[in-house]
Amino acid sequence: MPATDYQASFLGRISIRRNQVIAMDGNHEQELQDLELFSKHVSERFAELLSSPDDVPFDALLSISWLRKLLDFFLCCEAEFKGILMMGNDPSQISKPPLDRLIPEFLDRSVKALDVCNAVTTGLESVRHYQKLAEIVVSALEQKPIGDGQSRRAKKALTSLMSAMNVDDKECSAAKATERSWSFSRRGVSSKDRVPEHFRSVSNQVAKNWSAAKQIQAMTNNLVPPRGADGSGLASPVYTMSVIMVFVMWALVAAIPCQERNGLLAIHFPAPKQVNWAQSIIGLHEKIGEEWKKKEKKGTAGLLDEMQKMEKLGNILMDFTDSFQFHGDITDQKAEEAAAHAAELAETCQRMEEGLLPLQMQIREVFHRIVKTRTELLNALDQVGKSSPPLL
Amino acid sequence: MDGCQSGVPTYEGDLHVVAAAHHIVKALGATKNLSDDLRKILIDLDSHLSMITSNIDSKGGRGLVDVEERLDQAERKIMRWETDPMMIWDSGPKEASDYLEAVDETGKLVDGLRGLSVHENRKQKEILHRAMNILQMAMSRLEEELIHILVRHGQQFEPKHMYSRSIRKDIVYDESFVSVEDEPTKETSSRNYSNDESGECIVDLVHADVIPDIKSIAKVMFTSNYGPEFCEAFISVQKEALERYFSFLGTKNLSIEDVLKMAWTCLSSKMNKWTWSMKIIIRVYLASEKQLCDQVLGGLGSVSSYCFLEISKATILCLLNFGEAVAMGPHRPEKLLRLLDMYETLACLLRDIDTLFSEEAGSFVQLQFHELLERLGESAIAAFEAFRVAISSNGSLCPFAGGGVHPLNKYVMNYIRMFPEYCNTLNLLLKNQHPGVADRVTEPDYGPDASLLTYCPMAYHLRSITSCLESNLHKKSQLYKDEALQHIFLMNNIHYLVQKVKGSELRLFFGDEWIRKHNAMFQQHAMNYERATWSSVVSFLKDDNPGSSSMSKSIFRERCKGFSVAFEEVYKTQTSWSIPDPQLREDLRISTSLKVVLAYRNFLGRNLAYTDDKCVKHTVEHVENSLLDLFGGLSRSLRNSR
Repeated sequence: MPATDYQASFLGRISIRRNQVIAMDGNHEQELQDLELFSKHVSERFAELLSSPDDVPFDALLSISWLRKLLDFFLCCEAEFKGILMMGNDPSQISKPPLDRLIPEFLDRSVKALDVCNAVTTGLESVRHYQKLAEIVVSALEQKPIGDGQSRRAKKALTSLMSAMNVDDKECSAAKATERSWSFSRRGVSSKDRVPEHFRSVSNQVAKNWSAAKQIQAMTNNLVPPRGADGSGLASPVYTMSVIMVFVMWALVAAIPCQERNGLLAIHFPAPKQVNWAQSIIGLHEKIGEEWKKKEKKGTAGLLDEMQKMEKLGNILMDFTDSFQFHGDITDQKAEEAAAHAAELAETCQRMEEGLLPLQMQIREVFHRIVKTRTELLNALDQVGKSSPPLL
Repeated sequence: MDGCQSGVPTYEGDLHVVAAAHHIVKALGATKNLSDDLRKILIDLDSHLSMITSNIDSKGGRGLVDVEERLDQAERKIMRWETDPMMIWDSGPKEASDYLEAVDETGKLVDGLRGLSVHENRKQKEILHRAMNILQMAMSRLEEELIHILVRHGQQFEPKHMYSRSIRKDIVYDESFVSVEDEPTKETSSRNYSNDESGECIVDLVHADVIPDIKSIAKVMFTSNYGPEFCEAFISVQKEALERYFSFLGTKNLSIEDVLKMAWTCLSSKMNKWTWSMKIIIRVYLASEKQLCDQVLGGLGSVSSYCFLEISKATILCLLNFGEAVAMGPHRPEKLLRLLDMYETLACLLRDIDTLFSEEAGSFVQLQFHELLERLGESAIAAFEAFRVAISSNGSLCPFAGGGVHPLNKYVMNYIRMFPEYCNTLNLLLKNQHPGVADRVTEPDYGPDASLLTYCPMAYHLRSITSCLESNLHKKSQLYKDEALQHIFLMNNIHYLVQKVKGSELRLFFGDEWIRKHNAMFQQHAMNYERATWSSVVSFLKDDNPGSSSMSKSIFRERCKGFSVAFEEVYKTQTSWSIPDPQLREDLRISTSLKVVLAYRNFLGRNLAYTDDKCVKHTVEHVENSLLDLFGGLSRSLRNSR
């Protein structure tokens, strides 16, 4: 069993470390170096994310590949954080103030992050559905010469696509209704004659009344920068890691359809501007916030770059199919334009096809990592609780 | 076929060849007993040949007219339904096959016209667009028909044939042990579900009669390149049905936070439900869904497995997440059996899961379940450890009144009585725990008769648990000031332990040697009790000078009084003590009686001269009867028998 293996070696290391701590004071310096290195890496990584060029579609802010990079960085930071917290230090420290309060709060945040991961995983299923609809649009418009039938085929898929994206945005818990609406439109028979009333999806939800925005808001509870003497110890990486975790979850929810996102924009975490590592995160937060505001004015949201592109192209192609049906035929120039847009949509679909599944798996990896660290921290707390008699 | 398209004949002779070939194909097509594949080839060939002819003719202007006529005919058949409120497949098989034929014809015309569209011909292009438009209309219609058929003929099934073992009561560890009672042993046998009920569990999710209809719709939609539309419609209806069924099973979506906060009784029932739902969903529902996908979409490459994955993924994730949440929750001892249930269920479903998700796209799901199994195993081990810790750390400040069977003992023994049911799983999980300690060397020799079970990892852990328990009971016995009561307490508890082991499958794991040893142990405590209580009492009745006739009256009086006082004191104290086991109580009374009554009778017999004296407060019979009142759990005091 890996957990116990780990425990054994972990405890072994602790006792060695403990002796060293007693033996020489140089360890404190080592610790300080570790901490400095950690925050240096954090600021480097997030600076890289912030500097992502908007014009390169692959790395654009909130694109699939950008999110994957973000999650990669999260995993790296997390590994370093755990190293600092658990390997190099006197374990009894985690049961002493201020960590005795900060660690449980951190664990609480971790659990909330897990639910966000699950909500986002489900959200990616919706994105996959959009992709499939967009692929139908592409395959309809790829036919040459384009005729009324193909244009109508494209329009039908586009209508489903656009309404699915819009409903998912507004009220994701009812997302399933949209996947169906495209199927029951004609026939003059009202849709409820054909399908049972209680058609609302259950599996698409994390839980009833669950809200991604509230969850993230709750993650920021008690999240304050360590002050005074606490600032130099382990309280600071706990704080840093918490901010990273909240930010990553926030960004995921902003990008991917998610159950109940109302109020997400209002969330802000008190990151100290003067600290190096925090600047990039604040910068990203502001940048994404602006994007969000822009989108909200248009009545839609869903900041995943590929989805935005899909929405934009969808609108253009929708106009195209409309005019096609109105005029009966179109000029060659219009047809060429439409073909170009369809090609662009095809490219977006391709990027989704390549990226969505790996992204979903990566989110699962983040999930498992958070679970693992939580278990290890709980075990460590347990060991400390057992080994030190509560006499002092 | 390509040859027919590329070489467009231009000469009269060619025209004749084409016409002849056309005739032959038509004649062959009329033959009965053709295989489906062959018939399809002939039909395709027929349509191509007619297209070639019409193309040749079009130079003369006649051929396209023919195509147009065929299209008109198909269009009429298709358009008729656009205004009809009835569903085609509800209207009868004839209507459905007519419609399909018309769609097929349209599709062929589209293919044929497209194949020839290299020649820019305005008229031809116009007909092509018209045909495609009709095709689009028909495809849209077929999609609706498909959804209608799936919804209307979707079968509900009751999960009645799946056995649930959720009826077993929980044994909750709680410091006060208020809930611990001895349960009737027959409950143990409630777990008789079998692991190999797969195979016969596949049900029809959609009525078998309509499968050919769905297949024919799939065929024509895929042939016309409307496969994606078919898949989306099929997936969304089937996904809904699965999710509805899932909620019908009573499995609600819960956030991990909710699960972690959940009270034990609630969590326990959810864990049961999960175990149960997993079996039905994987073994029955998804196996049936997979079959449906294969029936409908088999032969279309990876389409079937793609649809299956899309249909099931959301529900699967939901099941996975609950499992993860349970595995990461606090490891309380009472969780052990439920965790083992979940572990065993998942372990025996893994093969089914691997089969269902054998394609590359499903490897993600496979992996997640394998990881979950591992985590459930770890969690079960942690709960096992928590159980052990709970046993050794259970402390009390006051002695347990009456010296009867301590609730901790009952709790532990009733709990571990269930372990043999999980023998294989526990052995597997415990194998790697504390390597070294399970070494046989450190174990007492159980002799050549001991069965293999006595040596399995679980047996070792069972004995280690009871030895934790025993040392805790020893600690608890020290709380009694009265040495005799210490022995009564230990006698009672060890006797209980042995009885529980002997009376269940546990005996196979503990082995005869263990039982012999512990039998001797409680008997030793019984003897120690007798010595501690009765030696001093009986010492009053001792004959100091064996051989001499009798003692002086004053000595007799003194002895008599001493005995009475001591006996009454014992009576007063020990009537409140308790020996819950009637047989054990009886045995101890008999052996006490033998010792005390005999000594008293002899004492009085030796001193017959004084027996009328009023200092003899108790008759032999009275003493004998009084002894029957001991260990009844009710404090009494003794009255004079005279």
